[in-house]
Amino acid sequence: MKNNDTSRRDFIASSVLAGLTLAGCSTKDNPFEPDIQDQVQPSGETVKLLSVNGEVIEVDKAFLKPVPDLPTVSNEAARIGIPGKKFVMVIDLSRCKNLKKCQASCNHMHHIHPGQNWIKVYPMQEAEHTAPYWQPTTCMHCDEPPCVKVCPVDATFKRQDGIVLIDSERCVGCRFCMAACPYSTRVFNWEKLDLPKAISDKPYSCETSVPQKIGTVGKCDFCPDMVRKGDLPHCVAACPNGVFFFGDMNEDSVTNGAETFRFSELVKDKSGYRLMEDLGTKPSVYYLPPVNRNFPFEPEEQDTTQKNS
Amino acid sequence: MKLNSSIAFAVLLFNFIGLNAFSQAEKNELTISIGYYNNNSQIHYLVAQAKSKIDGRFQQIPNVALSFYITNATIPNLLGKAVTNEKGEALLLIPPSAKNEWNKSAKQSFIVTSSASKQFDEATATLEITKAKIMIDTLPDKNIVATLFELMDSAWVPVKEVDLKVAIKRLGGDLNVNETPTYSTDSLGAVAAEFKREKLPGDANGYLTLIAKLDEHEIYGNITAEKLVPWGVVIKHASNFDKRTLFARRGHSPWWLELLAYSIVLAVWSILIYLIVQIKNIKKLGV
Amino acid sequence: MESIAKQKIVEDLLPQKFGKPGKIWVGILLVFCALGLFAYIRQLTKGLAVTGMRDYVSWGIYISNFVFFVAISLVGSLITAVLRLSDVHWSTPLTRIAEIIAVSAITFASIIIIVDMGRPDRFYNLFIHGRLQSPIIWDVVVITTYFFVSILLLYFPLMPDLAILLKFKEKTGAGLHKLYTFLGSFWKNTNAQIHINEKAVNILSITIIPVAFSIHTVTSWLFATTYRPGWDSTNFGAYFISGAFLVGAGGVIVAMYIFRKAYQLENYITDSHFDKMGKILVLLALLYLYFNVNEFLVPAFKMKKSEEDHLLGLFTGEFAPVFWFAITTAMIIPILILVFKKGRRPLPAFIAGILVVIGSWFKRYLIVTPTLLHPFLPMHDVPASYRHYIPTWEEWSIALGSLAGAMLIITLFARIFPIIPIQETITETEQNETK
Repeated sequence: MKNNDTSRRDFIASSVLAGLTLAGCSTKDNPFEPDIQDQVQPSGETVKLLSVNGEVIEVDKAFLKPVPDLPTVSNEAARIGIPGKKFVMVIDLSRCKNLKKCQASCNHMHHIHPGQNWIKVYPMQEAEHTAPYWQPTTCMHCDEPPCVKVCPVDATFKRQDGIVLIDSERCVGCRFCMAACPYSTRVFNWEKLDLPKAISDKPYSCETSVPQKIGTVGKCDFCPDMVRKGDLPHCVAACPNGVFFFGDMNEDSVTNGAETFRFSELVKDKSGYRLMEDLGTKPSVYYLPPVNRNFPFEPEEQDTTQKNS
Repeated sequence: MKLNSSIAFAVLLFNFIGLNAFSQAEKNELTISIGYYNNNSQIHYLVAQAKSKIDGRFQQIPNVALSFYITNATIPNLLGKAVTNEKGEALLLIPPSAKNEWNKSAKQSFIVTSSASKQFDEATATLEITKAKIMIDTLPDKNIVATLFELMDSAWVPVKEVDLKVAIKRLGGDLNVNETPTYSTDSLGAVAAEFKREKLPGDANGYLTLIAKLDEHEIYGNITAEKLVPWGVVIKHASNFDKRTLFARRGHSPWWLELLAYSIVLAVWSILIYLIVQIKNIKKLGV
Repeated sequence: MESIAKQKIVEDLLPQKFGKPGKIWVGILLVFCALGLFAYIRQLTKGLAVTGMRDYVSWGIYISNFVFFVAISLVGSLITAVLRLSDVHWSTPLTRIAEIIAVSAITFASIIIIVDMGRPDRFYNLFIHGRLQSPIIWDVVVITTYFFVSILLLYFPLMPDLAILLKFKEKTGAGLHKLYTFLGSFWKNTNAQIHINEKAVNILSITIIPVAFSIHTVTSWLFATTYRPGWDSTNFGAYFISGAFLVGAGGVIVAMYIFRKAYQLENYITDSHFDKMGKILVLLALLYLYFNVNEFLVPAFKMKKSEEDHLLGLFTGEFAPVFWFAITTAMIIPILILVFKKGRRPLPAFIAGILVVIGSWFKRYLIVTPTLLHPFLPMHDVPASYRHYIPTWEEWSIALGSLAGAMLIITLFARIFPIIPIQETITETEQNETK
C-alpha cells in the first residue's frame, strides 16, 4: 500500500506544472519548444504565486496542471477524445490475488449500483488439468468494437484515443450493445440509483461516467477524466500489487504508478496476449500470462456475489 | 425467574455502558500527512492527505477542510485553505503572501490543521523542509547530468549521497533511461546517466522530456527538474477515427452500406409514393 | 349473375354488431390490455427493475414477443402476395384476415420494442441520432415500410367494399357511415378505377415479399450479428423466415376458424380452405423442422466449447422441457394431425393452428433467453438473481396485454369492415359462373 501511495504522489509531482515550465517560464535552453503533448491553450486568467526563489510570479491558470476543479470537457470534445493518444492497458495475471481493490475503487469512484461491477475478477481455468488463475477484466476498449457497431443512436462511440465511452444522456436503453459485447463488460441501470444529492445533481459527463442514469447502459471508461488530469485510472492506482499497467501506445510505455515499462518490450518479453483474439475485436487490453506467480491461487471461500443479492 | 431478570438487567446495563462507550469512540482520529513539491525550481506547492482508521483499516477522507500555514499556525501565516477531494487529498499552491516568511530562512516548516467536526477531532501535522533544487543538463552522446543543491544560509551547495531518479517522462509514470532507476549523487552533488532508450517515441517533433527527481525525501521533500531533448522519434498517431467503418460514428458508415441502404429505401418508398398517388388518381376518377 | 345471389353475399358478409360472446370477448381483451397498461405504468415509474431481466439476461420475453409479432405478421405477405402471384384463387377470402393479422402484429411489434427500451422518453433519438450501421435502425426502417405496405394492401382491396357498405347506412349506423364515406365515397366501380386498383394490388404484392423477408431477416440479424453461441449463425435469416411463415399460417387457421364460427361464414371459409391451409401448414412445419435440424444438429455435432453448455441446456438441461415442448407442439404434433385428411377438417386444423402458435411463442423465448445465460466468460461477480431469468408478473402482464391488444385490433377491424372481401368474392363467383 505504502509503495503505491508514493507512486501516486510521484505522479502528481511529475505532472504538476510540467505544462507551465515547459511552455515557457523557465527552461533556459529551449523555452519556446513546441510541446504537442500538453496542448494547453492559455486561459487568459492568471494567478499570482510565489516561486521557489521567493519571487512573485504570474501564471496562467490553464498551466496549473492538476487543477482541483478541472472543467469537464464538452460532449463534443468527449466524443473526439484526447488528441495524439492511444490508450492501452496491460494486466499482469501473475500478480493478481483477487484482492478486488480495483473493483472497490472503481465502484466507489463511479458510484455504481450496489451489486454491479464494471471490473470483474474471474476465477479462470481453461481445462480440468490446467492451472487456475484470477483474471481481472475491464472494458476491452476494442479497436473494432462490436458494441459500437450495433448502437442505433451513437450513444456508445469509439474515440480517436481508442477509448469506447457511453453517453448516458443519449442512450435509449435498447441493450443491443450488451448482447453484442462478448466480454460481458456492460451493465444496465435497471433502477434509479440511490446517490447522494451532490453526485446525482452533477451534470453527466461521458468522461467521468458519473452520475449513472436509470435505463441506460454503463461500463468501464478507462477514466479519461483522470488521464486528462495527468492521473492514472482508479483501478490502476488502487491495485496494491501493481497488476494494472496503463499508458499511451503512441508513447510506447505503460505504468502501474510504481513501475514503468516500454509497452512493446513488456508484451514481447512476457508473451502478452489479448482475450478472444479470434473474434477480431482487437482489444486495447493486453494480458500477461499467469506464469511465475506472486501468489498461489486461493479460491474464494464463498462466492462473494451471494451476499449482494 | 428472579435470576433471569437480574441477568437481563445486567445485560441491559452492560449494553448501555457498551453503547455509550461506543458512541464516545465514534469520533475517529484523523491523520494528516503533508508533502512538499517543487518542480524546476519554479512553482511549489503542498499536498496534504487526510486519513483515518475506520473499521480497522485506513481510509482516505474526503471533504475535510484544511488550513495551511507557514512557520506557525497563526492567522498572519495562513497560506490558504483547501478541502480534500475524493481521494482525501488537498493541494495548495504557495501564494505571494508567504514571500517574507519563505525568504527568511533556508529551512521552512509548514503546518496543516483541521478543526474538529462531527466525525473527527481536530488534527495538526507539521512538515519541515530544507530548500533544495535539482539542475538537469545533457552532455554529448546522450548523457544526462543531474545535480542536487540545497540552500545553506544564502548559498546553493551540492548535496552528496542522495538517490536521484533519472527518467523519461511518460503518461502516468517515468520510464528509466536505462536499466538503472536511481543514482547516488557524488561529492559534487551530481549523477550521470546514459540514455539508452533507442527509438522511443517523443512528441510531434521527436522531443522527449527528461526528468530528474527526488521522491519524498525527509529533508527536501519532492523535487523534480525537467528538460526537453530531441532524442526521441516523431510520434505516430494512426487512428481510424475518421475512416468510414461499421464502428464509426453517425454519418461515417461505409460507402457500400450507404449506397445499399439508401438505394433500397429510395426504391421501395418511391413505389409506395407512386401508390399513394394512385389513390389520389382513383379519388379523382370518382368525383 | 343474379342480383339475389349477389345480395345474399353482401348481406352475409356485412360487418355484424357484437353479440353476447363478442362483447364478452372484447371485455376480456380489454381487461388484459388494462392489466398490461397498469404493469407498464409501474415499469415506467420504477424502471426495468420490475422485470426479471438483469445484466446477463438483458433481453427477455419482451424481445421474444417482439420476434413473435414480427414473425406472425409475415403471413400477410404469404397469403396475399405469394398465393396471389401464383394465381391461386381459393385464398381470396383469407387475404383480409391475413392482412389485418399482419397490420396488428406489426403495430404491436413496434409497441413492444418501445416497452423494452430503458428510456422510451428518448425514442426520438432513433430519428435525430440514428446510425446507419446499426441493425436496429435497419429494423426501424423496414418495419415502418412493412407497416405502410400492409396498410396499403389492406386499403386497396377495401375500396370497392366501402362503396358497398355505404349503401347500408341504416344497418351500419351513422358513425361508421361517416368513416366509410371518408375512406371510400369516391369509389364508383368504374373500369378505370378497377384497373388502377388491380394494378396497385399487383405492385404491392410484388413489393411486400422482399419487404416482408427484410423485416424478419433484419430481426434475425439483431441476434446473428453478435458473437453469442446459439445466435452466431449464418442460417438465421432463413431459419427465422421459415418459422415466421409457419406461425403466421397457424395464426390464419385459428382466425379463420373463429371468424367462421362467430360470423357464420361456412359458405365462404369452407372445409376446403382448412384442407388447403392444413397442407400448407404441414409443408411449412416440415420446412421449419428442417431448419431446426440444421440449426441444432450441426453445432451439436461439433460441440464447440462455447456452444456446449448452451446446447446441452436445451437438449437435456434446464431448458429441455420448454425446448422439446416447443418442437413437439409447434411442429411434430401439427404435422401428425394435418398430414391426414381427417386432420385437416376445421376443428382439428384449428387445434393444430393453436398448437403451432403456442409452440412458436415458446420457440421465440428459447431463441432469446438461453443464449444470454451462456456468455463467453462465466457468469461472475453478480447478485444471485442475475444468474437466472424468471419473468415477473409485470412482464407477463405486458406480454399478454400486447397479445390481447393485437387480437383486439383484429376483432374491432372485423366489427367495422367486412372480414371477407365482398367485391372480390362477388367477382370470383361471377368468373366461376361464366366459366
